Amino acid sequence: MASIGDRVDVFAASLGRGAVTNLSVLATTDDSPLVSAAQAGDRVAFGRLYEQYARMVHGILMARVPLSEVDDLVQEVFLVALRRLSTLRDLARFGAWLAAIARNRAKDYHRRSVTTVEVTDDGSETETGSGVSGSAGNNEAAVILAAIRSLPDAYREPLILRLVEGMTGPEIAARTGLTPGSVRVNLHRGMQQLREKLGRWRE
Amino acid sequence: MDKDYLWDRSGEADPEIEKLENVLGRLRYNRAAAVFPEIPVRVRKSILARLFQVPWAPAAAVALLVIIIAAVGWLVRPKQVALGPAWNVTKIAGTPRLESKPIHANGGTAKLGLGQTLETDSQSRANIQLDEIGTVEVEPGTRLRVVRMSELKRLALERGTIHASIWAPPGQFVVDTPSAVAVDLGCAYTLHVDDSGDGLLRTTLGWVGFKLGNREAFIPAGAACRTKPKVGPGAPYFEDASESFRTALFKLDLEGGSAKERNAELTTVLAHARQHDALTLWHLLPRVDQSQRSRIYDRLNALVPAPEGVTREGILRGESKMLDLWWNQLGLGDISSWRHWERSWSPENGVAK
Repeated sequence: MASIGDRVDVFAASLGRGAVTNLSVLATTDDSPLVSAAQAGDRVAFGRLYEQYARMVHGILMARVPLSEVDDLVQEVFLVALRRLSTLRDLARFGAWLAAIARNRAKDYHRRSVTTVEVTDDGSETETGSGVSGSAGNNEAAVILAAIRSLPDAYREPLILRLVEGMTGPEIAARTGLTPGSVRVNLHRGMQQLREKLGRWRE
Repeated sequence: MDKDYLWDRSGEADPEIEKLENVLGRLRYNRAAAVFPEIPVRVRKSILARLFQVPWAPAAAVALLVIIIAAVGWLVRPKQVALGPAWNVTKIAGTPRLESKPIHANGGTAKLGLGQTLETDSQSRANIQLDEIGTVEVEPGTRLRVVRMSELKRLALERGTIHASIWAPPGQFVVDTPSAVAVDLGCAYTLHVDDSGDGLLRTTLGWVGFKLGNREAFIPAGAACRTKPKVGPGAPYFEDASESFRTALFKLDLEGGSAKERNAELTTVLAHARQHDALTLWHLLPRVDQSQRSRIYDRLNALVPAPEGVTREGILRGESKMLDLWWNQLGLGDISSWRHWERSWSPENGVAK
């Protein structure tokens, strides 16, 4: 059965059902016209915003929730954004606003998971689920991801956006609304801690 | 600015970072756009807001709005907008509420989407059509939420009663409750959760698995199973078992008590056990201490002799392979089917797909 992201949609088709766009091209793009058009009800414009920001949202969630939940939550974040788009006043801050929704959605996920028992998601966060299990390479990815997720909050997000989603530091800053300086510092400090952690694990 | 590969991929590549990029890059997000609905009506309020910036517009717009609201207000009751894929919800009685809004329009139908909550009061009932995999009838006094709508369908039943009729392959419909997870194995069942989080599952057709951590119960048609928060599912029992059997079972299995009390309850259970109550005795084996296990072994062995490969010593040690072998002698199906479907959603072997 098709999941949310697998379903065919009119505008997805019109976009060639394209995968998420290469963000490096878009680092300096002003998204305000797209956001404005989406606020006026243009679903194609919203689809383009999805293309440009899906990896950022995915990375933010991957830093916080079990991998098996991330894809569904990405869709949820965009649906929440679509529903609340009219409340966004500073169109140039769309990325920061969307990032905040993603971080809040991750918090909601953890709040909800304690109110009902979900045996499969009981906090073990074993990265052996769909998307990671299987080959030795995937197991290695799971181990590294676990190491990143054991780092302090401030380092996880930029490292995942850089190493998993393939964004550069300037792109991370532009998309998330954080200052380039803080992103750069956190990337380097996080990378240093990751090297130490992986080094210890290999010994 | 200095060349800095980590920052902007400038300068000489750092081999370790390159390796991390290669390994982790396979987790990169690459999914196409989702099924986004029409931009909700209230989003378009921003257009109205702009109208108010025109000097003559506010008075006219307000007057127009008042007329429209007064004339057709009852026709434009709030609609529940399901974002993304959704299941059809039909009102059966009363006024079920979806996301706190009553289901009125469209002949009492609405769309229930991911993350949304459906609630019935003491007078209302509703039916959820789960795409092509089955239906869930929602009884009065129920609150449930949609947790997952992908290949695996997952609801969280916070309180109340549902009747599920599922014709999907086993393992594709899961219901979380405050005290256990119900996994459909191709069946029809009723699941009730009270305000304290206690639950009762009654299977009317096929099989249901009920699980919390390592505590699991397999509930065939005609059987039921109680569950308690922080304890998990009790041993299932056939509903035609005697009152004495059931009362003693609940005390023994779910309420604890002193060793002396538990031994007394076990004595009652064993004395009233009939051959098909082997279902219950088998479930009790891993849940009791050594001395009680020995007594259960004797009674179960008298009702359904242990097959080849199953020894008293092995059962007393709690060997799961022997327990599974014995289960297959009970005439209740092959346990390997459960083990197979369990793998598709249990934490030991991955996560819900």
